[in-house]
Amino acid sequence: MSKTGSTQPSERQLSLLVTVLAFALPVVFVLVPLAIFLVYSFFGVDQGTIVYAPTLGNYVRFFTDPIFLPVFWNTIVLCVSVAAICILLAYPAAYFLATLKGRWRYALLMLLLVPLLMSYVIKIYAIRSILGLNGFLNKALVALGILQQPSTLFVFNMNAILLTLSLLLIPFAILPIFLSLERIPQTLLRASDDLGASGWQTFLRITLPLSLPGVASAASFVFVLAIGDFLTPQMVGGISGFTFGRILYSQFGTAYNWPFGAALSVALAMVVICAILIGERFGRSRGTSL
Amino acid sequence: MTENTDLLTLRSVSKSYGPVPVLHDIDLSIRDGEFLTVLGPSGSGKTTVLRLIGGLEPLTSGEIHLDGQDISRMPINRRPFNTVFQDYALFPHMTVSGNVGYGLSVRHVRRKEIARRVAEALELVQLGRFADRFPAQLSGGQRQRVALARALICQPRLILLDEPLAALDLELRRQMQEFLKSIQREIKTTFLFVTHDQEEAIGMADRICVMQAGHIRQLGTPHELYYKPNCEFVARFFGENNLVAGKLGPVQGEQRPIETALGRLVCSISGQPHLKAAADGASAFAAFRPEALHLANGEDSGNRFSGTIADLAFAGSSTVATITAGANGAAQRLRLRVPSRIDGSALKSGETVSLSFAPHEGHLVLA
Repeated sequence: MSKTGSTQPSERQLSLLVTVLAFALPVVFVLVPLAIFLVYSFFGVDQGTIVYAPTLGNYVRFFTDPIFLPVFWNTIVLCVSVAAICILLAYPAAYFLATLKGRWRYALLMLLLVPLLMSYVIKIYAIRSILGLNGFLNKALVALGILQQPSTLFVFNMNAILLTLSLLLIPFAILPIFLSLERIPQTLLRASDDLGASGWQTFLRITLPLSLPGVASAASFVFVLAIGDFLTPQMVGGISGFTFGRILYSQFGTAYNWPFGAALSVALAMVVICAILIGERFGRSRGTSL
Repeated sequence: MTENTDLLTLRSVSKSYGPVPVLHDIDLSIRDGEFLTVLGPSGSGKTTVLRLIGGLEPLTSGEIHLDGQDISRMPINRRPFNTVFQDYALFPHMTVSGNVGYGLSVRHVRRKEIARRVAEALELVQLGRFADRFPAQLSGGQRQRVALARALICQPRLILLDEPLAALDLELRRQMQEFLKSIQREIKTTFLFVTHDQEEAIGMADRICVMQAGHIRQLGTPHELYYKPNCEFVARFFGENNLVAGKLGPVQGEQRPIETALGRLVCSISGQPHLKAAADGASAFAAFRPEALHLANGEDSGNRFSGTIADLAFAGSSTVATITAGANGAAQRLRLRVPSRIDGSALKSGETVSLSFAPHEGHLVLA
């Protein structure tokens, strides 16, 4: 008897602890840091020390200085392009996976996800050597006669960042698309056939629209991951491949202007939040499944 | 009447999934304009028949002929048949009118024409007000009707229905049965309806095809199947039936006796040459319906035996008595159905009664 009497309060304490943790963890590790950033973005810097007096100076500088807005814009365009390339490459792969049967589909899916287990830096080095002047890409293009001699088109510039980010982030696009394709009931496709649609019509009018939620979340995944990345531009971008992430990084490093860096982060966070909201908006399918 | 011309013919159609045979040499003719129900327990191959006709699966062997032409290898989207799927398979991202118009729009029919015919079809299934809703916003019965409208809008030669009422509750199922039947009469299209529910089959079909273990056991009108089953399976499958095993005696005109544990029972064999042809002493069953059995009175000539009432069950308009009859070693359980009366049944549990059925209401089934 006494046993049950003693376990009940401790169980209650445990559940209370779990509840507190569930709320406290996101607050402490997500909301608080974000709030600190937001607060810092209204401070200034004088002679390398932070001045704790509220000012809008950082935001004025961001919007008026001719350097930042163009880089900001170019970075957004770059990341949208990365997302587009990833979707275009990932969709056929995911579609192929979804048509496979039994254990093959999951074995191949695992294989596609293996790169996620590898170090990010090592992958960037590997891709950099593929894109380099003596790299596989140039050698292949020369061997095929498409180029007369190795090109610097993919070395230390925006193109290099574009290709590298796309390659790195494709797995993040394949997974959500695959899941949305897998969730489409086969009988819908049979019903479409039965009503006289050709294979292509069935794809365009049934499969594609029903997989759009997966495409939307894949695109917002890739975009968000790409826009927050500073390591890849740093390593493959050279001088001309200057992205917003690199500017941000330098504010916390060499430039040592944390308040301005915080203001830039806030600007970036706004874009990310928009991307996630858009992804969410299109990710929800009209009329829930039956 | 056009009902006597065959629309679709299955010629020794077989189907196996890998090494597992599902259908064995099926021969079946579907008449133009009829409501044909394929009835069988699960695993009997009834849904496979429908899938083969619809083109959802390839035949293993045999041929399917439409108007005398072999369509066995015609791809699914070319066949002039449409299916109402068991789970309706409505497209969740399209409205009701989008779903119904789908078959026309993939054939590039002009928009105005589509709109007109969609409105017509929705009118037919009484869903005009729901044209702009999404399937998720509809009830089960409404989805069912959308699926039907979607199937019939292309004016197919044959509409295939795969247990479409299985997911509905009893009351709604009754309504849909009448509804389907009335639509079928109105559009005069051939319906092939698959179900495992014999009551559903009897209520709707012009003809019923009973299947078991990949074979067609009997094909006929509901009346024929009910009163003249040709085998033990059909006799047991349709409603409650009393089956008493025995050996056939010599033919007596349109009747034939059978020696059973209940004595000699005389049953009708009119119009059934195979019963006339069966050898004397062959194993068979006497089959008679609970409602054909009655308490014996002085006028009964034959088919008399006595039994003890083991149980009485009130079932509304009628009362069913379970009766133990025959010698102890070979006791038979029989059912007797009598009209209920407001002042209670004339029967009492534990009572021994004398029972009889008329020879023309008895039937023979070869074992």
